[in-house]
Amino acid sequence: MEERGFMVIGEELPRVDAEVKATGEGKYVSDIQLPGMLYGKILRSPYAHAKILNIDTSRAERLYGVRVVVTAKDTLGKKFCIHPHLANNLLLQDEKVRYIGDQVAAVAAIDEDIAEEALDLIEVEYEELPAVFDPEEAMKPGAPQVHKEANNIVLHTRREFGDAERGFSECDVIVEGRFTSPGVAHCCMEPRGCVAFFEFNGKLTVWSTTQAPHPLRQDLADVLGLPISKVRVMRAHVGGGFGARFPMDAIDGIASVLSMRSRKPVRVINTRDEEFISSRIRYPMVIELKTGAKKNGRLWARQTRVVTDNGAYNNHGISVTGNATARLSQLYAVPNIKFESFVVYTNNIYGGAFRGYGNPQMTFAMETQVDEIAERLGMDAAGLRLFNANRPNSGTVSGCKITSCGLPDCIEEVVEHSGWKEKRGKGRGKHRGVGMALMIHGGAGIKAYWGKDCNMSAAIVKINRDGTVDLYTGTGEIGQGSDTAMVQIAAEELGVSLRDINIVSGDTDTTPPCCGAWGSRQTFTAGNAVRYGAADAKQQLLRVAADLLEARVEDLEARNGRISVKGSPERWVSIAEASNESYANRGTPVIGRGVNDDPWSDVIDPKSYYGNYNSAYAFAAQVAEVEVDTETGIVRVVKLTCAHDVGRTINPSLARGQVVGGVLSMGVGYALLENLIRENGVVLNGSFQDYKIPTALDVGEVECIFVESRDVNGPFGAKGIGEPTMIPTAPAISNAIYDAIGVRVRELPITPEKILNALREKGKHNPR
Amino acid sequence: MRRELKLRVNGEDYILGIEPHRTLLEVIRKELGLTGAKEGCGGGECGVCTVLLDGKAVKSCIMLAMDARGKEIWTIEGLARGGELHPLQRSFIEHGAIQCGYCTPGMIMSAKALLDKKPNPEEREIREAIAGNFCRCTGYLSIIEAIQAVSDSRKLV
Repeated sequence: MEERGFMVIGEELPRVDAEVKATGEGKYVSDIQLPGMLYGKILRSPYAHAKILNIDTSRAERLYGVRVVVTAKDTLGKKFCIHPHLANNLLLQDEKVRYIGDQVAAVAAIDEDIAEEALDLIEVEYEELPAVFDPEEAMKPGAPQVHKEANNIVLHTRREFGDAERGFSECDVIVEGRFTSPGVAHCCMEPRGCVAFFEFNGKLTVWSTTQAPHPLRQDLADVLGLPISKVRVMRAHVGGGFGARFPMDAIDGIASVLSMRSRKPVRVINTRDEEFISSRIRYPMVIELKTGAKKNGRLWARQTRVVTDNGAYNNHGISVTGNATARLSQLYAVPNIKFESFVVYTNNIYGGAFRGYGNPQMTFAMETQVDEIAERLGMDAAGLRLFNANRPNSGTVSGCKITSCGLPDCIEEVVEHSGWKEKRGKGRGKHRGVGMALMIHGGAGIKAYWGKDCNMSAAIVKINRDGTVDLYTGTGEIGQGSDTAMVQIAAEELGVSLRDINIVSGDTDTTPPCCGAWGSRQTFTAGNAVRYGAADAKQQLLRVAADLLEARVEDLEARNGRISVKGSPERWVSIAEASNESYANRGTPVIGRGVNDDPWSDVIDPKSYYGNYNSAYAFAAQVAEVEVDTETGIVRVVKLTCAHDVGRTINPSLARGQVVGGVLSMGVGYALLENLIRENGVVLNGSFQDYKIPTALDVGEVECIFVESRDVNGPFGAKGIGEPTMIPTAPAISNAIYDAIGVRVRELPITPEKILNALREKGKHNPR
Repeated sequence: MRRELKLRVNGEDYILGIEPHRTLLEVIRKELGLTGAKEGCGGGECGVCTVLLDGKAVKSCIMLAMDARGKEIWTIEGLARGGELHPLQRSFIEHGAIQCGYCTPGMIMSAKALLDKKPNPEEREIREAIAGNFCRCTGYLSIIEAIQAVSDSRKLV
């Protein structure tokens, strides 16, 4: 990677949308109010599993102010899913409901109160069916059948890399355990919602809380039977995503159908109650894991059996499970791997993508066992990790080609900054401990969208006559700061300042396609597209400037708004002059085009699972320091020391925001607090009063270290950071708890009750 | 049945006809078009609807608009004056305390209520003041720093 002084890359610049958010001017979907707009509400199933015998909407239709009531018969009945071959969800269910909260009918009325009242007047005749809530029960013969698949098994996978049996036979120490991960709610502060307006020219415009505008456009076109050109997904600010907001949610299609039937703009916004009972969750998993190592500490074999609660409908279940099992061979490049996974329907709320995409569940299990092995071998857990850590330009038995890798540096950084050597194993008397965990994750997205082989982003860069820039990307800005990162990348490449760039993102009518914000992909994949587009525009400017300066294109450089001859800074023209010359005098406005179709990764082979599925890999090491109150079981996370290999830091403030937020707002919650408790399909803690997320009183200190491994293919060397931040937090905390009090809890979240039970079992609990 | 309600919001008087069961949040968002305060839960739990009522931070989603009669109400829209951002707004921007921004208006109003009453609070008091304002993006530390920085700069004046 060429080294030179950057102008904006690596600078701590405020986000481009900061002012409009600080002043409350920024409009979110629920702020959009169109003339004549109606308010929609969704009737949801009160049963976990039932046949729909009849729906009578006549009373609701007669209520004053109701404009339209829709059921399945008002839709095309097209099934949808991110994996099209597994599609079995409908905008409105026709024959059966399969979980409490399932959508049955919808109303649009002149105000929300009337719409709510109308829901009560819709008469649905149900025939209740036996239901099943535990995936391991659902797999047994004779269990209630949720869909057509036998034993409710959507996918049963068995794979082996290397020779697991032989691998284990060569191990000197083997540990085994069963780990469970609960349903976790995203709790985006903005509930999901959609404003849809279908006009007489057949054009549907949608403002949605989406993190992937172009895929949503495609999904809506499919499910509504419209040409793609007749669907416009528009930008609004989005109040958090974390995976919850892709692909299409039924609410987007329902709002659209209500607008198409009423010929009015319609807004549908979930209440928080609806968010808790009917939006996506982190897939609950039961993971049985076995890890073996040789006596020198080399991790040599791993075997797992995973059962994923797929919930009532197919969504990301198979790929989240695939992503979880993929980590077995990747982290520490363990050479002998065997895994078996079951993705199983139940009558529970169904899961979705959630920061980490199966990796937090598996990393919790893997990294707990690494500590157990270190203890059995009498080795330092950090030393054992460093010995086994992935290295740059290395491979795995499953076909990964790791290029940039700063994992060893991450370990050394957290050891130093956490005071590991002084603290590890020394705080048990005071119930204080430190624990470490590592992670590997894709840092560039994966070829998974639009069929199975697409991980693409495109950008258009238009230079105005005055030298300012319009940058068009199809990316999803959901709060993570993607717009700012894209602007910084374009500014650096073009040699202009941040304020000279106007970004247009997420409006599908004006921006080029992009798969959106998922898989920690936008910085790398969309960032490359933006860089290519800016480079294309720059070349056009340089050609004009070469004429004006009577110089050769290859002798020119663009910096600080000027194009100058390298080595002769006094010979220059401004970018504005060059642009104006091209635009006005030559009639060729400068328009750059950038496309990144991710040429460096393989398409997933569903038969072998062998291949290199990520163009770049992100790495991290975290150390948690905890204090446990053995009287109450309460764990206080005193400090988290986090080192992340981000390739290159585009903006330290944004990157730190991802780390601190991922660790404190989510990782600590996942480790200690969060569990969407369901009993017979009923959510028991569906409010912020009962479902605890971390507050300002709960968060401790975070120290953030960025390791810059300079990825060979990343834009200026950068790779993804969004998901990785929360992946190692839970096992780091769990390992720290063991260091503090000598008990392990393998069921997340690690609540005070579980700690006290574990202490009691160990006979260590001595109340006065 | 609509009733007359006189409200004073951001220093301006409004005479409205509203249904008595409307919350303050509904009225400021829908009738006044001040959409900076958000709805996040409708139950006074998450704090994204926070506004100031006679200087106190209140959850406007669980307060009836009628009960705000005769009170001085400030929303996020009232903070920037004459084209200048309020110091808290500037500090939130400079400290990277904004991500998705949905909690930001409520968070800033809670911070303002604290600093107006106590210009140099302890860190613990800052945490307590925003404990009812949830944020799922930032992990709160940058927000706490942003509020501290404003109180520190006031110390210098």
